[in-house]
Amino acid sequence: MNPFEHLRIAMDALAANKLRSFLTMLGVIIGVASVIMLVAIGEGAKTYIRAELMGIGTNLLIIVPGKTETSGMGHMPSGVQKLTLTDMRALEKRASLIPVMTPVVVSNAPVKLGNRLRNVQIIGTDQNFEAVRNLHVEIGSFISKADVDGGRRVAVIGRTVKKELFGESNPLGRTVKIGETKFRVIGIMEKKGMTLGQDIDDHVFIPVETAQEIFDEDGLTNILAQVINESAIERAKEQIRGVLIDRHAGEEDFTIVSQQAMLSTMQTILGTFTYVLGGIASISLLVGGIGIMNIMLVSVRERTREIGLRKAIGAAQRDILLQFIIESVVLSMVGGLIGILIGAGIAYGAKAIFPVLPIDVSTWSVLTAFIFAFMVGAFFGIYPASKAARLNPIEALRYE
Amino acid sequence: MAQSPLIELDDVGKVFITGALRHEVLKHISLKIEEGEYLALMGPSGSGKSTLLNILGCLDVPSGGHYRLEGREIASRADAELARVRNQFFGFVFQSFNLLGRYTVEENVALPMVYRGLARRERLQRARDLLARVGLKDFTRHLPSELSGGMQQRVAIARALVNSPKVLFADEPTGNLDSKTGQEIISLFGELSAEGTTLVVVTHDPRVAEHARRVLTLIDGEIVGDKRNGEAA
Ligand SMILES: Nc1ncnc2c1ncn2[C@@H]1O[C@H](COP(=O)(O)OP(=O)(O)OP(=O)(O)O)[C@@H](O)[C@H]1O
Ligand SMILES: [Mg+2]
Repeated sequence: MNPFEHLRIAMDALAANKLRSFLTMLGVIIGVASVIMLVAIGEGAKTYIRAELMGIGTNLLIIVPGKTETSGMGHMPSGVQKLTLTDMRALEKRASLIPVMTPVVVSNAPVKLGNRLRNVQIIGTDQNFEAVRNLHVEIGSFISKADVDGGRRVAVIGRTVKKELFGESNPLGRTVKIGETKFRVIGIMEKKGMTLGQDIDDHVFIPVETAQEIFDEDGLTNILAQVINESAIERAKEQIRGVLIDRHAGEEDFTIVSQQAMLSTMQTILGTFTYVLGGIASISLLVGGIGIMNIMLVSVRERTREIGLRKAIGAAQRDILLQFIIESVVLSMVGGLIGILIGAGIAYGAKAIFPVLPIDVSTWSVLTAFIFAFMVGAFFGIYPASKAARLNPIEALRYE
Repeated sequence: MAQSPLIELDDVGKVFITGALRHEVLKHISLKIEEGEYLALMGPSGSGKSTLLNILGCLDVPSGGHYRLEGREIASRADAELARVRNQFFGFVFQSFNLLGRYTVEENVALPMVYRGLARRERLQRARDLLARVGLKDFTRHLPSELSGGMQQRVAIARALVNSPKVLFADEPTGNLDSKTGQEIISLFGELSAEGTTLVVVTHDPRVAEHARRVLTLIDGEIVGDKRNGEAA
């Protein structure tokens, strides 16, 4: 018998019970939709984070005070000895694998112009920051070596700060107050937008020593070091360790985080997240499969006489078996198809809401969903179908 | 004619075993059915008529003895083989019509051809021809539930005939019908027989027995009478 005939029989049977067929599919629909959606969003987030992390500069090492056991993003300064500008000077002299580095002091402070006020993040740094962080001034100039050495009160402002405080007027040469100290605006950064959850445009940059002075802080939040090339990263770490341990009385009271480590930490977190949600999705597929089996068993019972009749007019066991397996496979695959459409719809909807996320429904996730839907239908259809196929035609015809 | 009979039963028995109970429903049945016969199977309730009919129609297999179809022993009890025989040699009509409610009348009639592998268009054409034959030409696209009992039984008869079977088996075909519609079905059987269809009908209805050319009486699983009506009938 032609397999298309079996398919037609299955479709007719399902169409005769549309609502029930749809409800039976729901488990598979939800399972597949969540798989498609999670994979698309998860992969999008990974790609996004990778691009963002790589965008903060190349071959970066971040040196933070305090020792943490774990590498990556989570560091908890234990507050032993501070990281200072002198430490950085020593590194500049002795760490040959690090041609450029820049100090960073971060603090929050109100920035005032006349009666306008905005709370922004103030970054104290030096002339190398532009190169190391891959952030650039658009109008005017960035902090110079002379500004740093002279402890000058000059500020470079981000786009958002400019817009909020100055509107359309030209800020260059004007004076703003950071806290109670007056600063002269010397530059405006180019527009950057959100990076890793931080609005770079909402920052103000001032010379590092000036920052330490006005915030009464003699340590650094971190030191950003750019290694000459990727293969030198591990050796560069060793150099830094050597220099700093030497200076910190033999204590390793700092942590060196590499971009790579941050990346893999993020990937691991996202990966775990994806696995957990994937597990939930699989359970829902499984539940969906059991739902299909349940309804197929009900259907076999309801259609006992039909099965008897089909056998009487010439259906072999194999025909009945195929009829019911195909029915359950069609249920799960149509469910899978609807699930794929819904999942993709949600994924692309998320992309419309968060355009920065490079969300894409991959072919392999669609294929995997299809194959899984097929297997669920076939697996959970076998038992009811073989039950139907083994019915005795005479007894089936007599069934009330 | 030295030709072998269409169906030949030779010392066939049927035993049902339910738990510890052994129930011998058919005993030493030997029987020949020739092509073109119109045979009525009669007897009291529980005498084994349906069981015999099911064995004749390969819906069931004997516990002992021989079953020959056109001289060939059906020894194989393989499901696929029996299904093929039922499909190509036999048609069945039951007391309840057993039409599938989600299919139209013509699709119901075409059903046996699905298992024969005919194309849909050919099937429906042939189904319509047979519906015309049983007087239901105007109801091909109706659903069975829209038809009266007598009409439904005629649909079932069209379905049984659609594969041009060698034998049409009917188990109490008028049992669910009032006497007037029952009479219509009996007349239809008469016409089919006159056209050369071989019929085996289990019935309690004496009118069927009048039409039939041979009446077989069964009591307690044994053939106690095998009467041929006069050729003049
Ligand atoms: N599957 C079975 N298992 C056990 N006993 C059965 C089975 N099928 C039929 N019988 C028994 O065999 C006997 C004959 O049954 P059968 O249905 O052939 O009778 P019948 O002559 O057709 O009766 P009726 O006129 O009531 O239809 C009955 O006593 C019945 O209980
Ligand atoms: Mg009976």
